[in-house]
Amino acid sequence: MSTQLAPAVELNGLSKRFGAQNSSRVVNAVNGIDLTVQAGEIVAFLGPNGAGKTTALDMLLGLSEPTGGTVRVLGQTPSSAVAAGRLAAVLQTGGLLHDMRVGETVRAVAAMHRVTSRVQEVMERADLTGIARRSVGKCSGGEQQRIKFALALLPDPDVLVLDEPTAGMDVGARRRFWDAMRMDADQGRTVIFATHYLEEAEQFARRTVLVAHGKVVADAPTEQLRASLGGRTLSCSLPEQGREAAMELLGATSGIADVSLDGHRVTLRAADSDAVARLLLNELGATDLEIVAATLEAAFTNLTED
Amino acid sequence: MSTHTNAAAAAAPGQPTPAQPTPGQRGLGFSATFFWIEAARMARNGYTLAFTIVMPVVMYVIFGATPEYGSMDAGNGNVSFSVMVSMAAYGVATSMTSLTSLAATEAQQGWGRQLALTPAGLRGYAAVKVAVALFYSAISVVAVFLTGALTGAAMDTAGGWLATAGIILGIGLIYGLFGLGVGLIFPSDAASGLASMTLTLFAFFGNVFMPLSGVMLDIAHYTPLYGYVALARWPLSEGYLSDGSQDPLWALILNVVAWTAVFVGLVFLGLRRSRARH
Repeated sequence: MSTQLAPAVELNGLSKRFGAQNSSRVVNAVNGIDLTVQAGEIVAFLGPNGAGKTTALDMLLGLSEPTGGTVRVLGQTPSSAVAAGRLAAVLQTGGLLHDMRVGETVRAVAAMHRVTSRVQEVMERADLTGIARRSVGKCSGGEQQRIKFALALLPDPDVLVLDEPTAGMDVGARRRFWDAMRMDADQGRTVIFATHYLEEAEQFARRTVLVAHGKVVADAPTEQLRASLGGRTLSCSLPEQGREAAMELLGATSGIADVSLDGHRVTLRAADSDAVARLLLNELGATDLEIVAATLEAAFTNLTED
Repeated sequence: MSTHTNAAAAAAPGQPTPAQPTPGQRGLGFSATFFWIEAARMARNGYTLAFTIVMPVVMYVIFGATPEYGSMDAGNGNVSFSVMVSMAAYGVATSMTSLTSLAATEAQQGWGRQLALTPAGLRGYAAVKVAVALFYSAISVVAVFLTGALTGAAMDTAGGWLATAGIILGIGLIYGLFGLGVGLIFPSDAASGLASMTLTLFAFFGNVFMPLSGVMLDIAHYTPLYGYVALARWPLSEGYLSDGSQDPLWALILNVVAWTAVFVGLVFLGLRRSRARH
């Protein structure tokens, strides 16, 4: 049975070109994306604004037609997956009518899915029961995001696509949201989310796909992507006496990079952080040592710059 | 990693699954729940009620019920009835136009994307919105006709009342196309206001609000509301105008058919524009 499973999502050479061919105004928003996502994965689509994330997700959802390549969701076209209630999304832009009430919005979309029986459950899950009678326009950004989340949960989809899902949520709400998503993924729901918060990809995605200029520039388990950057960042305070000599020594040691001094604190990057920590503490009299794994931010900057 | 396959199999039994036809996938995807939610939302929006119900009723009272000429004979009824028909038709044209242009605008915003991700899709939304527009149109006709019946509008036969209401609602549907076209071409909240204002202008120059004569009347024959309202008055006046001349039935039908074609053209233009934006 397991061998016959179609991947949750399969993109092959996916492209989207805006503007007429041969015209000077042609924009290749998405430029040949290949991607296979298996059931139960949480994948971050990470990239700066304008990288083509939303355009790619629109095609994945069948909201716009690719100008090249193919999209399969659970082995079907996106529109059949949507029609079968197996593919749903939290969309980024707008998406809600301000003069509709929260409860009405959920009931209306539930009616379009023919799942009005699930309204209560979904309202509770998205923590909307208390504001059911409030009009959408009076809800905060985070509350509106929760409404959209509720709408996406209505069909109980196998594949859930989230475009900047936690925009406007406070830290607590964001954490609760992702805890819920993790539980769903463990039960087999596939979650693909676009974000430009590196932190969010780091904390919540088991796999990160880095997108820049409409292309995939990196695709790896998030941990590995971070590790492959090489090393960790160390920072510590150095005693004033001998600080200059110490800086010189650090700068000359191989395996240490990006040494910088800010006041009495030195920051550097090292491949073998244990060895460098020993050096700093034992030989150079360092105090208040901090060691941090390289952030995706660095990977991001390295990989998305031209 | 090995847990994925098991979990997925549990969540999606019988993989690979062909597209399962769901109830919403076939037919119009009309939803009664959504219809009532939309109807309530429009009722909360004072603009809708003011333009589709209050305004036609008030205009009828001012121009049709109170003046002394109201009780004068006009064909198979009286002048009050004639004014009542004009105002009801204007009310229907306005509600069809403003509600469908609003729907087109909403469908092109994020809400439309949200609904496109449901099995019923935008088709289901369109079905609901047209039904809501018709619902308000019917309320508008009932409100104006009821006011008319209570204030002296007279028609020789009960069948005449029914036939007139039927013509008003039936032909009024084409203003759904007009509103849709305008909403697709100008996807902003202003579109609905623009469409309604255009309609009021058409009403002035289309022999709807007051009887025109001379050159104004000659021009009026070619404006969109003229054919519609003249046909709605047909059971009453059979094409006779206040100056004694008579419009042939075919000319009125031609007016409606020609303007329907124009509105269909607007819709296609709007669809093309809207697709180009995506």
